[in-house]
Amino acid sequence: MAKIFRRRGLVATALTGVLAVGLAACGGDDGGSGGGEDGPIRIGTSLPLTGEFSQPGLAAQQGYEVWQEMINAEGGLLGRDVELVVKDDASNQNTIVADYNALISQEEVDLLLGTFSSLLNLPASAVAEKNQMLYVEPAGGSPEMFSRGFKYLFFTQQATADLQGKLFAEYLAGLPEGEKPETAAYPSIDDPFALPAVEGMREIMEAGGIETVYTETYAIDTKNFDSIVTSMKSEDADVVVHGSVFEDGVGMVRAMLKADFKPQWLYQTTAPSLGEQYADAIGPENTEGILFGISHSPKANTPGNEEFVAKYEEMFGGEPPEDAADAFASGQVLAAAVEAVGDLEDQTAMADWLRENSVETILGDLSWNEDGSPTGEFLIGQWQGDSVEFVLPESIATTDTFIQGWQPGGTG
Amino acid sequence: MTQLLQTLALGLLLGGVYALAASGLTLIFGVMKVINIAHGAFVVLAGFITFSLWDAYGIDPLLAIVITTPIVFALGWVTYKVVVSPIRTAPMSSTVLLTFGLALVLEGAMGEIWGNNSTAIRPSYADESFTFAGLFLPKAQVYGGLIAVLVLVLLWLVLTKSWLGRAIRAAASNPSSAELVGIKVAAVAALVFALGIAAAGAAGAITGVLYPFVPGSHYQWIARLLAIVVLGGLGSLNGAVLGAVLFGLAETFTAAYWSPSWATAVPYAVVFAVLLVRPHGLMGTRLREDAVAT
Repeated sequence: MAKIFRRRGLVATALTGVLAVGLAACGGDDGGSGGGEDGPIRIGTSLPLTGEFSQPGLAAQQGYEVWQEMINAEGGLLGRDVELVVKDDASNQNTIVADYNALISQEEVDLLLGTFSSLLNLPASAVAEKNQMLYVEPAGGSPEMFSRGFKYLFFTQQATADLQGKLFAEYLAGLPEGEKPETAAYPSIDDPFALPAVEGMREIMEAGGIETVYTETYAIDTKNFDSIVTSMKSEDADVVVHGSVFEDGVGMVRAMLKADFKPQWLYQTTAPSLGEQYADAIGPENTEGILFGISHSPKANTPGNEEFVAKYEEMFGGEPPEDAADAFASGQVLAAAVEAVGDLEDQTAMADWLRENSVETILGDLSWNEDGSPTGEFLIGQWQGDSVEFVLPESIATTDTFIQGWQPGGTG
Repeated sequence: MTQLLQTLALGLLLGGVYALAASGLTLIFGVMKVINIAHGAFVVLAGFITFSLWDAYGIDPLLAIVITTPIVFALGWVTYKVVVSPIRTAPMSSTVLLTFGLALVLEGAMGEIWGNNSTAIRPSYADESFTFAGLFLPKAQVYGGLIAVLVLVLLWLVLTKSWLGRAIRAAASNPSSAELVGIKVAAVAALVFALGIAAAGAAGAITGVLYPFVPGSHYQWIARLLAIVVLGGLGSLNGAVLGAVLFGLAETFTAAYWSPSWATAVPYAVVFAVLLVRPHGLMGTRLREDAVAT
């Protein structure tokens, strides 16, 4: 009998080993290293293709792939094709450190591109910095990212997280008495991008006389938002500023609808920027009037944007989500630095060049402070009908209509 | 007072669904001493199957339970025969490793079939509520809670009132003696495993309506479900129900009266505190003698 137990134990161990090897093989990269002087330039990244951040992670992957297609069609980078090496970090902070170390030491990639979210970019950028490799990231605007004195880190959106909702917060605070909301609630996921975004808006709105009646942070794996909504409803908040990623953004809106809690204004970070996926998840009829900070619009008249939107539609169908556009812009910034320096070896020179120059991207011209944080200003988007419009700043608004508040069950 | 009652109602509804999901896990452990780490993955898998039935054929996701559950039951049976049965009597660490591997394989398969995008099932009543004396009771949660109670009662009746239930209890408490009186313990084990997975399937259909999900959501489910069955007492169906209700109430009351940031942590602290006082869980002592009696 003991032998049978031992044999079965061995079978279990063997099965587990086979599973582990099989899963490792599914890791998603092509293997191999170095393209040599004439081969393709290999650019490594690890993205959250599974797990909590898979929605924006997959969008970022699409953006990188569109950039790869377009730059190769135009003759490549320094005359060589670009080849992406993409790993899946499963939205895990430990995995991403292992992934970037593997990209550098085992895959021996020539260049790096960043991942999605401050949560993952925080450790990943530290790996790049230690190896003195340029780290251009499409998402990861937490102020914490830029307080570490890093020299190789550059963020390719217009501003850091704490300024994401600045224009809308100032708009609300500046409304005349009678129109100005009196109370606001600030729930947020425990995320280094979402939290400063919400905090930045709260400071402006409080200074403008809008009373804070609810402010709470919830854990990243929170599924049930009924209690949070019950509390906000009991406080009768006029405005809800919600720091969200995706699933939690959807969950919160659905919980609000179930509780028949429809505040006058609803602003969410990130989630509403995920296009049709967001609309389908909360119901297209419920998107009307929802606001969010945004870095890109498919309608923007920026250089190359029309071509990017067309290529994205050809490759993946539909309009590109914001995270795809941000990833594409990261590719543009990386390419600009490489072309300016003229070779792949001196990545310190690339970083120095980026600090001293601005780069033309589909998000507009981007430039950076010494710490790699961008020097621009976020745009404010609003769901109107079945698409997104820029409403602030008024100077570049894509519509004259600014829907005054959230209208769930509306015209969607 | 309204908020108190509202929180209580939401916690009970949440606990009911947790109870259904946890019942299969505790049942499988009670009979086979197998801790099925893949249980959460089967919950998510049932959510995806329900999504496909709703999306492709317009079948109401909660009514689809009558289709989803037999499918998942069959998958459970096959899984037992192919994966679990060969190492059923191996040390528990082996079955934990194996079922963890199974969970990862299921996650990968779900990603391949349905993609890693967040999936949401929104029937017409998904965002509607019953209102009563100033309280709101989300329709999907009420329907889901009622279905959960119905399935749990059926499961309880099978285990306590039927010949099959007596065979399961006999196989759980003394497999050798059960064999001597003509009970085919191996067949009972396969049936119990499939039944446990079917319960996870029914719960998955309900939770798919309540919350968006991705293939990787199973990590969150298995963490909760393990805590619930340990709190209730491993192997105890009644304990799983009690543990689930306490867990659901702890989550909602913490979020409402303390802080949402502690809502996912406090229930585990409750589990920790209970285990310090009752190491075998709330209903574990009695049921160590009679694993799945009541």
